[in-house]
Amino acid sequence: MSCPEHLRTQAYLDGELDGIAASEAERHIESCADCRRASADAAELSDAIRRQTARYRAPDALRARTAALLDGETAPRAASFRPRGFWAGALSGAGTMAAAAGIALALLLPPSPETLAQSIADDHTDALMGARLIQVASSSHHVVKPWFAGRVAVSPPTPDFPDQGFVLAGGRIDRVAGTKAAVVVYRHGRHAIDLFVWPDGGSTLPGNATRHGYHTIFWKSGDLDFAAVSDTERRELEKFVTLVRSAPE
Amino acid sequence: MDNRRRQFEAQALPHLDAAYNLARWLSRSPADAEDIVQEAMLRAFRAFDGFRGGDIKPWLLAIVRNCWRNASADTRRRGHAPLPEERDAPLLSDEPSPEAAAAQASEGRRLNEVIALLPNEFREVLVLREMEDLSYREIADVTGVPIGTVMSRLARARALLKEKWDRT
Ligand SMILES: [Zn+2]
Repeated sequence: MSCPEHLRTQAYLDGELDGIAASEAERHIESCADCRRASADAAELSDAIRRQTARYRAPDALRARTAALLDGETAPRAASFRPRGFWAGALSGAGTMAAAAGIALALLLPPSPETLAQSIADDHTDALMGARLIQVASSSHHVVKPWFAGRVAVSPPTPDFPDQGFVLAGGRIDRVAGTKAAVVVYRHGRHAIDLFVWPDGGSTLPGNATRHGYHTIFWKSGDLDFAAVSDTERRELEKFVTLVRSAPE
Repeated sequence: MDNRRRQFEAQALPHLDAAYNLARWLSRSPADAEDIVQEAMLRAFRAFDGFRGGDIKPWLLAIVRNCWRNASADTRRRGHAPLPEERDAPLLSDEPSPEAAAAQASEGRRLNEVIALLPNEFREVLVLREMEDLSYREIADVTGVPIGTVMSRLARARALLKEKWDRT
């Protein structure tokens, strides 16, 4: 119950997840004692409810009365008994509910740490390979910062640290597990550093990771989530993160 | 029999048990459940032209739930005894259906009572999910709350149920 992933685990157990989301949830349950216990409890309860409790059946008399009611409704002139407006009002809830559009469940759950880590690593790799690393090229925060306005919901910090060897190079828009993120791009020697900034959707951030040879450091600040990713040495990336975190807005 | 009536019966009547089961669990009274279902079927039939297709079950159950809410509001307005919200009255006093009879075993009876005493918002999600097999989306449509709320209520309902079940 105390695991921050428990709603995702529950959604998996209820058969609400499929594909990648389902296999992620499976992996999580394997590695999380809380969620394993919760799974066992949920299965036991669900089984008990289905086997032991009453699912009440409509009495035959109710069936008969319902048929009689419908007869009354379909008899000539029966429809004029009540003003239309009365029923339209009484039913306003139900009709619109059935018409309401469905929203993919995946969008309502904050992405899991695994999804975030994978998404950041994939984005960074794609950006380097696909030469779309930078959409606005500038070493001036007067250019880079306003470029994000209107393109993405967050206003990322864009400090520059030329003296420490971290040079602002530009920015781009990317997606982190489905959410639009601002990416501020820095040069550090031969290496690129991507600074991802996106609105905090209540996700648990992954631990710092190394994937495909890229180091990633995650943190939260205010209502934003941050990730710095690069193939530079981990110590250098840590130095960069310390600078960013201590830079005045 | 006219075409509209035939269509309605073909689609809605297979869910009469589901409608009654929900009304029965919400109202916790066999007599009230019958009134609620009759009212709901009448409204559903009159509103059938507005039903846009798809699965009729959540649509019908949403109407049942509305009728239950109206009925309990009426009862309160008229100053009748409140629904047995927190009362310890026996909950399976009505004539048992075959399923209910099977549930007379003490284990089942105990579980029934624990579920019946859960607060409304938790009882309804549990019934819709565990007995009626509705998806989160459908439960959200029936209860008129966002899916996120359905998920947290379901988690809370299960936790409460487990806690009370372990204790009894
Ligand atoms: Zn867990």
